[in-house]
Amino acid sequence: MKGGRQRIDFEGVSAQIRPETVTLAAADIAIVEQNFDFDLLTPAKLMEKAVGREVTIVRVNPATGAETREQAEVLATNGGVVLKIGQRIEVLRDDGLPVRVIFDKVPDNLRARPTLSVTIDSAHPGMRPASLSYLTPGLGWKADYVALYDEAAGKIDVQGWITLTNSSGTAYENAQTLLVAGSPTQVSSPGPTTWRQPSRRPALEQAGTESGSRERLGDFYLYPLPERTTIANLQTKQVGFLDVHGVAAEHGYEFRNHWLGTTDQPQSAKSIYRFSTSAHAGLGDQLPAGILRFYMRDKRGEPQFIGESRIDHTPMGSTLSLVTGDAFDVKVQAVVEKRTRVNEHDWKTDMRYELSNASPRPLTVTLLQDGLWGDSRIDTESQKSTRRSADTAEWNVSIPANGRTVLTAGFDTRF
Amino acid sequence: MASRLSGWNLSAAAIALLLACTPSQSQSPVTDARAAPPSAYSATIYRDPYRSSGSVDLDRLGGFALITETRVVHLQKGDNWLRFEGVADGIEPESAIVTGLNDAIVEKNRDAAGLSPSALVAAAVGKTLVLARTNPKSGRVERVPGTILSDAEGGVIFRSDEGIEALRCSGSPETLTFEGTQGLRAHPTLSVRVRAQRELTSTATLSYLSHDFDWAADYTATLSQDGRSMDLGAWVTLANGNGTGFPEARTQVVAGRVNRESGEVEPLDIGGPIVAKCWPRGSTSDLPMQLQFALKSRELSLRAVTQTAAAPVAASLAEVMAGGRRVQQEQLGDLKLYRIQEPTTVASRQSKQVRLLDRSAVPVAAVYGIELGDDENPRNAAGALPASRYLRTVNTEANRLGIPLPSGHVQVFAIRQGQRLLEHESNLRDLAINEEVEIDLGPSPDVQVETTGTGHSHRVEISNARASPIQFELKLRLRDGARIVDANRKVDTKNGRPIFRLTLPPNTTALVRYETAGSP
Repeated sequence: MKGGRQRIDFEGVSAQIRPETVTLAAADIAIVEQNFDFDLLTPAKLMEKAVGREVTIVRVNPATGAETREQAEVLATNGGVVLKIGQRIEVLRDDGLPVRVIFDKVPDNLRARPTLSVTIDSAHPGMRPASLSYLTPGLGWKADYVALYDEAAGKIDVQGWITLTNSSGTAYENAQTLLVAGSPTQVSSPGPTTWRQPSRRPALEQAGTESGSRERLGDFYLYPLPERTTIANLQTKQVGFLDVHGVAAEHGYEFRNHWLGTTDQPQSAKSIYRFSTSAHAGLGDQLPAGILRFYMRDKRGEPQFIGESRIDHTPMGSTLSLVTGDAFDVKVQAVVEKRTRVNEHDWKTDMRYELSNASPRPLTVTLLQDGLWGDSRIDTESQKSTRRSADTAEWNVSIPANGRTVLTAGFDTRF
Repeated sequence: MASRLSGWNLSAAAIALLLACTPSQSQSPVTDARAAPPSAYSATIYRDPYRSSGSVDLDRLGGFALITETRVVHLQKGDNWLRFEGVADGIEPESAIVTGLNDAIVEKNRDAAGLSPSALVAAAVGKTLVLARTNPKSGRVERVPGTILSDAEGGVIFRSDEGIEALRCSGSPETLTFEGTQGLRAHPTLSVRVRAQRELTSTATLSYLSHDFDWAADYTATLSQDGRSMDLGAWVTLANGNGTGFPEARTQVVAGRVNRESGEVEPLDIGGPIVAKCWPRGSTSDLPMQLQFALKSRELSLRAVTQTAAAPVAASLAEVMAGGRRVQQEQLGDLKLYRIQEPTTVASRQSKQVRLLDRSAVPVAAVYGIELGDDENPRNAAGALPASRYLRTVNTEANRLGIPLPSGHVQVFAIRQGQRLLEHESNLRDLAINEEVEIDLGPSPDVQVETTGTGHSHRVEISNARASPIQFELKLRLRDGARIVDANRKVDTKNGRPIFRLTLPPNTTALVRYETAGSP
């Protein structure tokens, strides 16, 4: 910097910079003002700013190829360019013949990219390090997990990757990168704020209570990348952060029937995988939100994809239960057998659930019947249920290998 | 659009970047390494999880595949940028897994900035290059060195010794010539930064999920003369809509619905032409505004068409694998995996068929039926309705089946005068062993159902114009709390709903009368 008042341009800041969040810090300077110029250098702007000024025009004779140069004054650019050449007034390229227009300079605040400039008052001249910080949208990250399930041992190996995406329009060379897991509230962020698909089935079965050794920022966790890296524009970058082997995992089935749900055809039950994130018997880490992809080895030992599931930010010590898809061989047909109105306030509903298993091993399905809100009772049932919540009854139904189990229940409800 | 998407990104997580004030202090040099083309491929194709049944739509392949490539890599000691070129264009980079490099991977990258005219210009902003201008008369090319000052909003501004000019606004032929491709790649590329302890040559495996694939089972059922049995054959039809082919790949397909999470935001660059927008070009003989608009919109729609044509569209180059190439089924967790026993080429933009099964003389029963809904629904009183015809069997070994049947499309043929004639086409869902198989044969005009009646008493008249006896099922869908209190025939219950099962002799009619009661 020189001494005194001066303007410093910062090129190569994010193309989506939020200029109101800029902070410049350096020793012995005072900030006078900060400007963000977003008037872009385009041919139309260049011509517009040349109104009232002289430009050089070059005509090429189409017959001879000879060039003639003239000075012209730009009078107007409304709809077409009107030029004054000597005492003549002409419309630029009105006759369709080639005319080159040469400008002698670029107007001051027209730029190829939006540019941030800061006017400072420097106490003394000389080189000193300065840091510029600002917020920008267009950068994001999430976690991606690869889980390899070993069916015989009932264990999973899990690798976690941080996936960083940059669509901010700018590359960040040799950057020290720190990721914050959690959702900092942004009040003034443009456009819609958080939008997430409402999850149909919660993945988090039990929230954990363990603390890890990761650095925290308030209630968020920090994931620093181990070394400086270049984040190019439109790049997807992945860096590993978790590698755990041989964590115990359970495989189960679940079927949820909605109130008065009745089908003509059996429906597949969901395949569920359940594991812990605790330090002693699980993954032993906090899991940032992302997608967990499950793989399993086929008969030839090659890993094959068997489905994926989204998880939210998960504290350590939690139990996760994730759906990977529908089980081909395990089906449930729920049928409303009988529904009678006992009196004005009472309905009796007889449900029949037929669970079938086409696989050569016995298994257990967690059968859920929801919609039992209010004053609802189960009068009769062929197997004892537990009430998971006021709304949902749960049965753990065993089905023999290549067999069927029928469960019946009678509900007494007000609707 | 960009800011909206990125707004989502930012609210999900936050990133802090500290840019180096002085360029790389202590970084060791990074060697550029290119992985050899794949020596072996494996492709496992999954169905579109949101398509419940039916066959593959070649124009919109909603399934995906797990691609595994085996490649030989040569690494220098130290840090290497290892590039895997020619991966499928539908690659989902976050799903990439690289094994066989002794776990020394520092980071994985996928650069979506593809090589396109506009990307070339964008990468050249601020750099020196050459403008070539052709004299229309002499054809002499004048090469002017200069710098691109801006490519903002599609207009290119160029500085040479003569001054500042806008590209292609003069009307004379002008073009830019670039040196090198500025690190932009024409083919989808995944790159990995690997830290090698020593120089080594190793076999690496890259696997990833890629969209633009799909598969379905295509069944053909041929009914016997008496209609009491059918021959069932099926193909696995798989399709690849990617621009990348997989020669001699170990190929598998997986049946059963797997969970997929969508809504991911991922940078994507579709590239674009150099537009060279200029200053206003109105002239003294301007077209009226309306006409101008019409011309513009035509231009726009033309451009839209060209862009669609450039996007990957699945061409229907079908290939039928004849001669004994079959699939073998195995269990994969709760899914069914079908393996094509020999390696096969899954070419780009191709659909391929491999034999799934052949079963002859599967006993079937033909049943006619209709489902009648709510009592007072005027549609049911609107004269006669044709009944539907179904073929029924159970998926057991006794019925010469007893195998998992993946969902797909069924074509039913009958043989008449020595010819196979198409009777009906319908869809089939995933059917496990021991499940009932029901193939819809469409409405039958020979069997008509007429309903009459008032309030709670109903009459249903069924007429059979066929020369053979038929089985008929009348299913009722009563309103909540209603029940049948009286009927002239025996009422059964199927799936919680009343059903009348009757046999109609040839060329007769039958009458079903029933009374309902209950709320409201």
